[in-house]
Order: sequence, then structure tokens, then C-alpha cells
Amino acid sequence: MNAPDRYERFVVPEGTKKVSYERDTKIINAASFTIEREDHTIGNIVRMQLHRDGNVLFAGYKLPHPLQYKIIIRVHTSSQSSPMQAYNLAINDLDKELDHLKAAFEAEVARVAPEY
Amino acid sequence: MEGASYQRFPKVKIRELKDDYAKFELRETDASMANALRRVMIAEVPTIAIDLVEIEVNSSVLGDEFIAHRLGLIPLTSERAMSMRFSRDCDACDGDGQCEFCSVEFHLRAKCINDQTLDVTSKDLYSSDHTVVPVDFSDSSSGFENPEDQRGITIVKLRKGQELRLRAIARKGIGKDHAKWSPAATVTFMYEPEIHINEEMMETLSLEEKTSVVESSPTKVFGINPHTQQVEVVDPEAYTYDDEVLKKVEAMGKPGLVEIYAKEDSFIFTVESTGAVKASQLLLNAIEVLKQKLDAVRLSEDTVEGDDQFGELGAHMRGGG
Repeated sequence: MNAPDRYERFVVPEGTKKVSYERDTKIINAASFTIEREDHTIGNIVRMQLHRDGNVLFAGYKLPHPLQYKIIIRVHTSSQSSPMQAYNLAINDLDKELDHLKAAFEAEVARVAPEY
Repeated sequence: MEGASYQRFPKVKIRELKDDYAKFELRETDASMANALRRVMIAEVPTIAIDLVEIEVNSSVLGDEFIAHRLGLIPLTSERAMSMRFSRDCDACDGDGQCEFCSVEFHLRAKCINDQTLDVTSKDLYSSDHTVVPVDFSDSSSGFENPEDQRGITIVKLRKGQELRLRAIARKGIGKDHAKWSPAATVTFMYEPEIHINEEMMETLSLEEKTSVVESSPTKVFGINPHTQQVEVVDPEAYTYDDEVLKKVEAMGKPGLVEIYAKEDSFIFTVESTGAVKASQLLLNAIEVLKQKLDAVRLSEDTVEGDDQFGELGAHMRGGG
């Protein structure tokens, strides 16, 4: 009766921004990114990539409520970088990693079964 | 600062590759990537499935909604799915989501005329697009022996005089919306185990003790070499991360006899497809979908610019730039 529609999990409604962020007022170089209509698939992978960055002091994500389909990623960086820079760098690195994985898999499929 | 990259370089090695089954090793990447690929393969790779059914005549024993539900679950070959548009995003149609760009039309006409029960199957579904058809499950190797295997998925059975006539529209969707759109039967991954047997300690055991160690594992991981009478690893991947061997070895008073670690960055994936998309194509589509999701989640320039601490516009607030 109160369950939201299934498409709410991935359809961003009109007027809502997909990604937005709030700087932390009390700590410098800290921000919380709110991503609408995403779940652990993106949250975990971005968080683990942020951990690999030397400039990132803190990175974590949560789903505030399982029936509200959004995630909040919190990032603190040292003064050498900014949370936005770290976030964009993480996403770019993941993109390149996926490109590499795709090329590796296609090469492997061509090697094993050339008729595909 | 801009030149730094913390990218990983994953490696893939395929062990087995069939049309609907793939087993491969994924190395030098994180568990979060492996899990993200698994989640996307199950829930976010798009396929095509019947979504709207208009029934003209139904005098069968099953109700209209029952038959419509069954039709939705029939897997359809979905090579077109990645390039198709979602009905909700399509501007070509006049709002009803039934144009040729975003949907495929099917029809089914069956009437039982003779005394024998008529089996209405997925083979009786006729498509308007020959690239989107119900998946054919007949094994090519046994095609000649058994005509019974080639019947297709049973939808409903009709008695003499019963008729079923309907028109169905199939649309693009993802597993997150409804499980009928999921292209994966099962997708699993496990950490690759690394098993060490302490040979010196093994020397101190009698043959019976060695046999009891081998037999304590519920799956056949260890075995006794008949020639050397030594315990050796027969199939490391049969290990299901139960600790039975470790508990047995400790109960015997010899901890450290066997050590088992899970390699943190080495995964063995098993992908089984429903037939809608080929198993290898399923992984490639999953990578593509994951890239699209990451692109959607990137920070746009104007979100950063508007910020008065980090954006360029805010530079004047910090005293020039």
C-alpha cells in the first residue's frame, strides 16, 4: 500500500538533480555528495576507488533509508586536493579501468573463440 | 595533481565459454568491482520482454492475467535491446509507447480443433521483428533425436473447442523494474582460494590420520596420492570456505597443518544467461551499462562553479585569482 513504484529506483523525477553536494561548514575540504536513484552498485565502487587516493582522508557512503532511493558519499581530503577533484578523479579512473577490462575481455574472447 | 591516476588494470582469463554459460577468472581488481558487475548483470542490463497484452479471445482454463504474466516471463532474443530506447523516453510515438522504435509486436492465435490436447508454446508466438523472437532452447546437438525437446515453453494447454487469440507488445526494460527483464539466470563469483599444506607436519601423520583430514572436507578438495601416500590438493576451487578441515586439523592437535587463504583480488565468475543475451555479450553489456551509470554520476562543471569555495567564480571572493 505504501510501497513506492518500482521505476522510482532508477527514474530521476523532473526537477531533481542527479548529483548535488553540500560542503561541510565546520571542516574544510569536506563535502557530502547526494546521488539520486542509485544504490550500492555505484556507492561501493566509488568509495573503494576514493580510498586508493592518497589525498583522501575519509571516504564513506550510505543509503539513508532503503525505501528512499539515493546515496550520500562523504569525502574529506587533505589541503592538496578538494573533495570534488577527488570525486571526479575517482570516476575517471573507474571509467578507464572499465575500458581496460572491456578490451581485455574482448581480446580474451577473440583468443578463445574467434568465431564470436 | 591532475596527472595522478589510481587506476587498476584488471586481467581476464576465460575458462569455459558456451552460448549461455561462461566461466572466467577476473584478477587484479577489487571486490567492489566484481560485485558491481554482478549486480549490473542481474538487474541493469536491458532486455526486451512482453509488457502489454491485449486479449481478444480466451476460452482456456487459465485467466487473462495468468496468461499475460506467463507471456511476460518468456525470454526474447534481445540483441537489439542495447540500441533500443525505453518507451518512456521515446519521442517518435504518440504517447502510447507502441511505435516501431521502442517496441516489438507479437501475436498468437491458437484453437484446438481435434480431440488431442493442444499445447500452446512460445513457438506459437509470431513476432513482427525477426531479430526479436522467443529464445529457442533446443540443443543443436540433440536436434535430430528428440522432437519433444523442441517444443518451446508451454504457455497454456487447450481442449477441443478452446481458443486463445491475443496481441502482445514487448518493450525494453531492466531487471530492477521487473524480474522478467533480467537476462541472467545466475551470476556468481568466488574468491580464488590459496591452499598450503605443511609438508613437514604432514610427515608426522599416519595414513589413517591423513585420510580423516581428507574426508573431513564436505567437498572434494584434498586427496591422497596413491603413489606417494601424501595428502595433496585435488581441486582447490571445490573449497566452499567452510572451515571443516581447519577445525578437524585443530581437533587433531595440529593447527597449522593446512592453511587456506582467499586471494583478495582474484575472482572466479560463473555467468549463466537465460538465452536472451549471449553470456559473453552479457558481461560486455554490463561493462557498458556501468560506464553509462558512472557518466551520469559525474559532477558537472556548473555544480562545481556555483560553489563559492572551489569554483572559479568564487575565486574573487578569495581575493582575486
